[in-house]
Formats: sequence, C-alpha cells, structure tokens
Amino acid sequence: MSSPKISRAGREITKGATTADKILLIALIIISVSGFIFIKKAFPEGTDVKIEVNGKPAYLLPLNVDKTVSVKGINGDTIVEIKDRKVRINESPCPNKICMHDGWIQQGALICLPNRVIVTVTGNKDRDNRKIDAISG
Amino acid sequence: MGMTEKFKVKSSKLKVLKTYAFYASALLLFCSIFILSACSPQKEKVYRKSKILMDTIITVNVVSHSAEDANRAIEQAFSEIKKLDKFLNFFSDKSELSEINRNAGKKPVRVSRDTFEVIEKAIHSSEKTNRAFDITIGPLISLWDFHNKVKPEEKTIRQKIRLVNYKDIILDKNASSVYLNKKGMRIDLGGIAKGYAADKAVAAMKRNGIKSGLVSIAGDIKAFGLKPDGKPWKIGIRNSRPANEDDDIMATIELTDMAISTAGDYERYFIIDNKRYHHILDPKTGYPADKCRSVSIIAKDGFITDSFSTGIFILGAEKGIKLLEDMGIDGIIVDKDGKIHTTKNLRGKIEFTKDQQGRKRNN
Amino acid sequence: MQSQDKYRIALLSAYAVAIHSFESLLPSPVPWLRLGIANIITLATLVLYGFRAAMMVTLIRVTLSSLFIGTFLGPGFVMSFGGGVSSTAAMGIIYSIFPRLFGPIGLSLIGALFHNIAQLFLAYILFVQKIEPILIVSPILILLGTLTGVINGFIGGLLIKNIPKKSP
Repeated sequence: MSSPKISRAGREITKGATTADKILLIALIIISVSGFIFIKKAFPEGTDVKIEVNGKPAYLLPLNVDKTVSVKGINGDTIVEIKDRKVRINESPCPNKICMHDGWIQQGALICLPNRVIVTVTGNKDRDNRKIDAISG
Repeated sequence: MGMTEKFKVKSSKLKVLKTYAFYASALLLFCSIFILSACSPQKEKVYRKSKILMDTIITVNVVSHSAEDANRAIEQAFSEIKKLDKFLNFFSDKSELSEINRNAGKKPVRVSRDTFEVIEKAIHSSEKTNRAFDITIGPLISLWDFHNKVKPEEKTIRQKIRLVNYKDIILDKNASSVYLNKKGMRIDLGGIAKGYAADKAVAAMKRNGIKSGLVSIAGDIKAFGLKPDGKPWKIGIRNSRPANEDDDIMATIELTDMAISTAGDYERYFIIDNKRYHHILDPKTGYPADKCRSVSIIAKDGFITDSFSTGIFILGAEKGIKLLEDMGIDGIIVDKDGKIHTTKNLRGKIEFTKDQQGRKRNN
Repeated sequence: MQSQDKYRIALLSAYAVAIHSFESLLPSPVPWLRLGIANIITLATLVLYGFRAAMMVTLIRVTLSSLFIGTFLGPGFVMSFGGGVSSTAAMGIIYSIFPRLFGPIGLSLIGALFHNIAQLFLAYILFVQKIEPILIVSPILILLGTLTGVINGFIGGLLIKNIPKKSP
C-alpha cells in the first residue's frame, strides 16, 4: 500500500514551496480576480422581477425564466407568475383584486395593497433611457 | 552544534520564513485587489426603498455616500409617515381623525400638533380655492363606491351636502382642538395628507443629514437636491388618456426643492352610459367635477400641491390658471377636451412626449 | 503491513470525518458548497501513504460524514462526493506523474480547484440548470478556494513533516 519511495520524496518537498507552487498560486489569483471583474461587467442589473412583502424583499427573479411563485402576505398567499418575459399576479387574497386587473406587465409594478405585496420589474431599459425618477398622477 | 550545522539550520529556517512571507503577501495582495474591485466607498449613489403605508405605495429615494446613512434616513422618513398615518387615517378607528369625526356635533377633540396643522392648512386651501377644495367632503365621498360602481341617488346627495362646509370646522389653537359643528359631518384628509406627509418625510431626511432625495407617496412627490450625476430629479406626469401601455407619460419635468401632485379622473372611477364618474367630487354639487381630466401642481410645499391639485381640478382651467398665477405657483391642467394649459412660468420647462400621431401637444 | 495500513487509514478517515462534519456547521452562501478543509487529511495521506490510501480516506470521509449529518444520498452528499473524488483524483494523478513538481501548497491548490470545479459543474447539471448564476458565483468561489488551498497546503505540509515515518 504505502510506497516508501514516494514518502521520502514527500518529506523532501515540504521543505519549501516549489516554483510551480508559486506560479500556480499567482495564476489562480489572476484568473479569479479577472473573472470577477469580467462577471461584474457582463452581468449588470439585468431585468428582474422583485417581489416584496411588507417592505421586505421576498424574491428576486429573472424576467426571462418562466416561473410561478407564491408569497405569503398578511392575508394569505399571493401567486406571482413569470412567463414569456412578462409577469402577473394570478391569485391574491384581496377583496377587490385590483392587482390582478392589470394582467401581464413588462415594466412598472403590480401592487396588492391589502396583502402588502409589491411586484416590481426592475432594470428595464426603456425606463432607464427615459430616466424618470418618479411618476406623478 | 557546529558552525556549519547552525548555519544550515538558520538558512532552512530562513527559507521557511521567506516562503511564509511570500504566501502571506500574495494572500494580502489578492485580498486587497478583491476588496478594491468590489467597493468604491467614496461614490454617491441613489438608495431607494418602497413600503406600503397610508394604504398606498410609498417610495423614498436618498442620495448618499454610505448605505448606512441612507438606510437610517430612509427608515426615519418611513417612521415619520407611519406616525402621521396613525393620526390621520380615515379608515382606522383609532386615528385622531376618526375621533374628531365620531364627535361631530358633540364636542371638540384635543389633537396632536401635526393633526391640527394639517387641518389648519386644509382650511387655508379651502379659502384660497373658494371652497373647491374642502376636507369636510367625507359624507359625500362615502356615498360613492368606485369598485362596485355604485352611484348615489340625487336626494341622498342633497341630504348630505348641507354637511359639507369647511366653515363648520371650529379650531381652537390654544386648546389644540378641533370641533365639527354639525352632527354627521366628517373630515376626509385624503386630499392633503399625502402631500403633508411628503413634506414631513423630506424634513426627516434633511434632519438626518441628507442633501438630496425624493419621496413619492402614490404620486404626491417632493424632491430636493440634485442626483449623483448633478442633474435635478426627473418627474413624469401621467397621461390621463393613454393610447397604449407605452403611452403612460404625458410630460416630464425636472424638479429640485419642489413638490408636485397630480389629481386625475383616471385614478378611481367607473363609467355608466358613457359617462365617467370619478372620485374628485365638487363639494358644492356632490357630483364628480367635470372640467378637467388631470391637474398637476408644482409648488414648494406638498400640502399645497396636494390640496390645490384637487381644488383646481374642480375650478377648471380658466379660473385655475388665474389662481395659480396670482399665488405664484405653477401647474399643468388638462381640460375635459384634452387641451393642455400651463402657467406662464412653466413654458419651456416641461418636456412633452409626442403623442401617437406624432403631434407635439402644446398650448 | 496490512493491518497497520488499515489502522492508519481508519484513523486518518476519522480525523477527516471530524473536520468535514465541523465544516458543515459553518454558514455558506449556497448550501452544500463547502471549502474543503478536510482536504488537509487527504493531502497528507496522499503524500505519505499513496494514492489508493488517499482515495479510500476520501470515500470513507464523504460517506460516513453524510451518514452522520443525515444527508446520505441527498444533494449534499452528491456535491461532497463529487468534490472530494475529483479533488483527490486530480491531486493523486499529478502527484503520481510529477511528484516533485508541486509542493504541498501547490497540490492543495490543485485539489481545491478541482473540488470547486466539480461542485460548480454538479450544481449546474443537477440543481440550477441556468449557467448565469454559476458563472456569477465561480470567481468568488475559486478565489476562496485558492485561499483555503494555501492554508490547507501549509498546514498539510506541516503535518507531513511532523509525522514520523513508522508511526500511524
């Protein structure tokens, strides 16, 4: 099982770091740091769907992946569906269902007031180009 | 030990030390690269947070160097709004407002300074708009149900209308009390509370050292300072009759140290027999005012913009523009035919979006 | 010396399991994604007692730990198995072909690198089918892996030096 030859070599090389060690370390550092910077540039905000319940973020999902999630508000579960780069509220325990009235949205937000749920589409290119900070009315 | 042996030991110890030092410094190097590439501590950024309070969505934006300072100021702004909501909420039995309403025709109610101030300011707006804005409209508003499309009968309106007159609000500054003269009177602060809260929220942010920010309480907005790029805050005014999803903004305006509010007939309404019934009632008739589609007011204070947007909506374009110019505040009025009127001062300061046919809407 | 080898492997595996289990208590951004501190044992075993021994210790470590923690055959087990086997294999192969090229630190870095790569790959095909989050999280993971690789290698090197030849 254990080969004495290898063990002796093992003991020898632990006396210091070899050149290969150093090169490897530096290479790894450079790769990961540059990877890090590259990733930061290649994936900026992106378009996401942010779901907040009672002021606290509950989900941050990409708009381009179809998915249905359920969030628990103060009155019950609100079901949010993302499909074909659009989002809508499927079901919500509110009396007037105003949040469902808007149907599918690609930008802006859906709000279920009674259940304290806010669904926002962030990082939308059009909005950014118009650069509006708030809307009155 | 002999000299050579001592030397050998020393040099091997040195080698270990050197190796150790090399790795330690390599680690330090990549940690610092990592940290530096990830943070830029000196840059100013806009921090933004939304919450549902006052039965609507409130967004607070703060410009700051540090996330800590920004979050502190944002929380202070929200707690200020929460406090006001407790006093002024029409739908909550525990609010001071409800206490006043319950004691209409019975006795004066002692209230906090904020509540007293809001009502005082509301009365001032009523005087200036010649009763177009009137917070005693509570009994009339309760007759309409915009979700279930319920329109009250003529005679019910006539019964309640005698309860609507701001002059029947009796204020006692020394006692800090409010008394409603007639039984059945009810105050609804919906037309002024949000603007007032925006003022207070901004004050809270300024107290926390913030030099630039924007508070939006469902369309009642107050902005101060400049954004990190040195530009003023850009506000979009909603299009009252959008042709499609992308047509939602009628115009944009840049603001700093100003408030803006918009009253529109598209916020809560229903249509019966081709006639639109919306929530901005004329206190003198009990029916929705029909002279305008939307009115946006720009002034230094939120309580002015909020109350006047409602008041001038009811007064109409002609009287409205005159009143605004007399008072030295600005506004944009879209009348019932869709024609846009603005105060003299605003011309050139608003950027209108082109409407569908490519025509630029203009005076 | 069959029995002594078995004894050694058992002891080393015990240490490895202990370290691995302790590490699983530490918080991690993505569950089941661990730094691999138990690699110290794997490294020492490889250098002192050979590839086979190291692989056995790894397999025993991964299996026993997951039985103890309760993640046996679950996703955590898959991740840890994949990471452990890949890293041991990589270290073993390089050490067999180029025994003098890398010191303990270098070997440890290789082990850490392959451990991370295997886990990222497994996470991608089994759990998170989208490549985006994997790409976003890899630089940071590899950076952290490099850091622990150096520390592991250093400690491992000390371990190797200080274990007398004939004792377990």
